[in-house]
Amino acid sequence: MSDSEFEARRARLEPLFESARSLADPSTERGRHARARLSASSGLSPQGVDFAIARCLEIAASDLEIAALIRSTPTSEVAHVLLSANVFVAAHRAIAIALASSAQVRVRPSRREPEMAELLLAGAPGAFQIVPELSPRAGDRLWAYGSDETMDEVAVTLPPGVALHAHGSGFGVAVIDGPHSDAALTPLLTALAEDIALFDQRGCLSPRLLLVNGEPGFAIELARELALELGKLEQRIPRGQLTAPELSEIAKYRDTAHFTGEVFEGGLGFVTVGQAGAWLLPPTGRNIHVLPSANVVASLLPYRPLLTSCAFEGNAELRQALRRALPGARVCRFGEMQRPPFDGPVDLRNA
Amino acid sequence: MTRNARSDQLHQAVRRFAAGERAHSFSELALQITAFQREHSPGFARLCASRTRPIESVDDIPGVPCDAFRLARVTLHPEAEDRLRFYTSGTTSGARGMHAMRVTETYHELALHFGRAALLSNERAHHVVALAPLLDEPPTSSLGHMMAMFMVDFERRGPFDVRTPERWLINDQGVDREGLERAGARARERGETLLVLATSFALVGLLDALEGRELLLPASSVVMQTGGFKGKTREIEPAELRASVARTFGIAPAQIVSEYGMTELTSQLYEATVPGSALQAELPGEPGVYREPPWLRVVPVDPATLEPVASGEVGIARIVDLGNIDSAVAIQTQDRVRRVDGGLVLLGRAAGAPPRGCSLAIEEFMTAPGVRQLLTQGGSDLR
Repeated sequence: MSDSEFEARRARLEPLFESARSLADPSTERGRHARARLSASSGLSPQGVDFAIARCLEIAASDLEIAALIRSTPTSEVAHVLLSANVFVAAHRAIAIALASSAQVRVRPSRREPEMAELLLAGAPGAFQIVPELSPRAGDRLWAYGSDETMDEVAVTLPPGVALHAHGSGFGVAVIDGPHSDAALTPLLTALAEDIALFDQRGCLSPRLLLVNGEPGFAIELARELALELGKLEQRIPRGQLTAPELSEIAKYRDTAHFTGEVFEGGLGFVTVGQAGAWLLPPTGRNIHVLPSANVVASLLPYRPLLTSCAFEGNAELRQALRRALPGARVCRFGEMQRPPFDGPVDLRNA
Repeated sequence: MTRNARSDQLHQAVRRFAAGERAHSFSELALQITAFQREHSPGFARLCASRTRPIESVDDIPGVPCDAFRLARVTLHPEAEDRLRFYTSGTTSGARGMHAMRVTETYHELALHFGRAALLSNERAHHVVALAPLLDEPPTSSLGHMMAMFMVDFERRGPFDVRTPERWLINDQGVDREGLERAGARARERGETLLVLATSFALVGLLDALEGRELLLPASSVVMQTGGFKGKTREIEPAELRASVARTFGIAPAQIVSEYGMTELTSQLYEATVPGSALQAELPGEPGVYREPPWLRVVPVDPATLEPVASGEVGIARIVDLGNIDSAVAIQTQDRVRRVDGGLVLLGRAAGAPPRGCSLAIEEFMTAPGVRQLLTQGGSDLR
């Protein structure tokens, strides 16, 4: 890529970044307006929206990250973006990738959460188009985000010659390798609680399982402490509204976990502990299942296609082993699961 | 008293109850079994302890979610004492659960007692065939095992080997149509009533194979259908399936009776439509309305709070089954039900939280390649 082309692509991103920066500022009318609209559409509490913007809207990406995003993004005649609901900040990264690909960007927001794309466009008029339906042609690219079901539907309806970058369903895991002192554990669990609480766990990066390379008793102790942290966080950042089916899933999960192991209440969510090998994927809504595992890499391998993010604390050798075993997941520190580097899509499954 | 001695005592009490002796009420027995399970099952004890209200009535008994059967052993006794092990099919969740029984007599008595009441239309001997694959040995399918029991019991000629291809009319090519015709001819010749035990997807497969042609059975034949479709065939509305089967076999729609059962249960529910059956004689039933046996009660509960809903409201079924003495006396299903005059209407399985955005839904997780393979264990099952 020539310098001039790089600069041209970089320049296309700047209005979007400026729009995001102004939107993130809660002291401005625009910032307040954005928060009100996002609270109404996302189902998150007002504090949850504020927390998500403050922690996850990428307004301070480094030049290196932006350069990596530009260089890793293929060009196209027209770049199309199909956005998903729930993780509203994801619109920013998705549109940035599209702008790095083409000067012509067409975005179809989620019908359930159309606000963020509109808010970004309002701060960057003309940077991209919002359209009710996408109609890509040969030579175009489509970045699609959402459930696997949506990805399947998109894939079969695309005309020939359109490149599809499908980012389907997934989930995150956290891994703690070996015992740590209380002083070291508390900040880890505080950070993990924040990773869980962001977007009320409705994103594909959200941690749903914590694997503990240690004795079952240590896993129970961690679960108890994590529940306390989630309880504290609930006071500061209340969980938003859940749907009736989500509440039903939680009731089923909670009672299953009561029968099969330990359950700790963490605010409105639950931290559950199972026996090694007994995987139970908790529903969204600030719930996490803790499992002891003597071999975390082997435990995670069957789930590799689904894993997007892996928070890790432990020795460097195991960290490297996880990176090798889970090439599609971002292996990161606790507290950073929901803000991966701004160097491309949030996960590496299509890299 | 030892665990097994108390268990045996409860088994006897439940069998007496099913036989009509009412030394204890349903509620008394349910609460006795609850107390017994709470004492000997740490998992159930934790579940009970999670409830804020004391367990004083049937409505208070917490249901063990069906998911627990695939994650843990839901029994009070050790594996060495298992006499039967039934596995769930796991086709909707990807994983398989296991229901083990230490005492088989209660299961047999309860299943036969209500099966006779629902399915036998007259005093004649019955000839029983199953539109199901040949039963495995030892049986791992609760439905297959029940079908085998009905074959022996309803024919009234003492024990015989039911594991013959003439009885199990599904093979690699699908439903054995000639075998079914032979069974009909035999029933006619001998003056027996033909009883066809079938899964819904086997019936749909047969209808598709016949392409509108008839396969006439004796007019007195009864068809028991059970189970969902589980992605094995196209799905047909129950009323349409009933009408199509009746037309194809040349029998009255009322002679097609639906059964509702689960691997996790000991007992079954039936429609009370079969003319001449004890269940129909007691109170004629409508198609689509399932009758509980006296030793089983369905409590429709709110899916989120798990509190009982008002009578006539739709809830998910918590099933209190006195037969589940050594496993879980109350099962929490995700099946939507509504109580009506004369029984319960089944409204299908409550959908899990649909995928929203890119977060992984639990159903997606359970059916993902690799995950499914990892979690799937055990033999075949039809339920």
